Amino acid sequence: MNRLFALNRWLGWLTLSLLAAALWLVFTAPVDYQQGNSVRILYMHVPSAKMALFVYIALTLFSAWHLWKKSETADILAEASAPVGAAFALVTLVSGSIWGKPMWGTWWAWDARLTSMLVLLILYMGVIALRNGIDDPIKGGRATAILAIFGAIDLPIIHFSVSWWRTLHQPPSFGQASTGSTITGPLLPPLVWMSVAFIFLGTYLVILKAREIRGRKILENLETERTSHA
Amino acid sequence: MGGTQPVLKAIYRLAWKDVMADFRHRSTFSSMLFFSVAVLLVFQAAFEPDPREAQRLVPGLLWTTVLFTTIMGLGRVFQSEEENGAFEGLMLAPLPRGAIFFGKWLGNLTLSLMVMVMLVPLTLILFNVTLWSHVPMLLFLLFLGTMGLTALGVLLAAMTQTARSRETLLALLLLPLVSPLLIAGVQAMAVVITTGDLSGPWLNLLLIFDAIYLALAPWGFGWLVEE
Repeated sequence: MNRLFALNRWLGWLTLSLLAAALWLVFTAPVDYQQGNSVRILYMHVPSAKMALFVYIALTLFSAWHLWKKSETADILAEASAPVGAAFALVTLVSGSIWGKPMWGTWWAWDARLTSMLVLLILYMGVIALRNGIDDPIKGGRATAILAIFGAIDLPIIHFSVSWWRTLHQPPSFGQASTGSTITGPLLPPLVWMSVAFIFLGTYLVILKAREIRGRKILENLETERTSHA
Repeated sequence: MGGTQPVLKAIYRLAWKDVMADFRHRSTFSSMLFFSVAVLLVFQAAFEPDPREAQRLVPGLLWTTVLFTTIMGLGRVFQSEEENGAFEGLMLAPLPRGAIFFGKWLGNLTLSLMVMVMLVPLTLILFNVTLWSHVPMLLFLLFLGTMGLTALGVLLAAMTQTARSRETLLALLLLPLVSPLLIAGVQAMAVVITTGDLSGPWLNLLLIFDAIYLALAPWGFGWLVEE
């Protein structure tokens, strides 16, 4: 793990330069003929939505790995993933909201994707709260891992039922805008670059957080050793 | 048959123990019942529906009340074991962990269902809704939903039992995860009330949810209590 932490510094610089390059592309891209400059929010919104989901998949895999092999590394990585994923989910919701006000005329709509993302954010917060709530780190780690796996099973059901609910109930009034308006031409490269930069950003943040958690664990172990000797 | 009979008996005994102990002194049942009435009171005060609006609101009212009441009951599923240090004893019982889970689940389900049997007529009376011919179907839907709800709920109760502020945590974890169940339940009930038809996609979703959680929750419980 220490080697990973050592490499992370370079990953950080790489992320920063990728983000800078992607941002430059974002601001030099032409404006959308309908949305004007608001379209630029999309370059942050779409990658963070992807990352919010992607980090949850990683969290599930770390959790399964932890349950199966009792690996402490997997436990630390799972603990580190949750806040990073929550941050991406929050960025997605907030940026979507800011974009939604001028485009849809409303900050929020109970659309299938919005609702699923909100549930994902609450789920992340639940995973974080459960771990913080249990004093015994071994029990807490195991309970959190099981919760994360159950969340992963539940998320497709949530998405499915919510989109079903919204389509059976009333057709979304902004169908054209929300159901994947195909993006082409000069607007595409900044999105691709931004997505790559966000993947690096997510990885960097998770490793950074993992380093902090491991440091804390080492410190706690020293503390218990010291008090037991005294 | 010789293999499963003792396990089924043990599940029944465990559930019976919980229900009896509850009636003798823990009285979760009466707290749940009066809590559900209090929730109805809150709804009435907050929305003041006239009978026509009330009829439209009934599915949502019933499911929200059931959800909140169930959370209250779930908070106590492992309470007596935790307080008296009996949880280890329960785990030492020569039973598969899945059987222990189903025993606790059945006990909690029984208490919740008894509350519901009283809650449905009470709701119809208090909100002046004349849906008396629908009562069996409403109860049946609540019963179906509660099976999955308590299956997931007992697992989460086991997860949070040693946590600080466990009841808040239980609600925080349970509510997002059961949102599909709530949507399906409300929609299925609305269909029953408007058309009198007990079938359709929402009922299937309810059944799927039940099947998934009844199959997976015992497995999760086994992982959770493993030493």
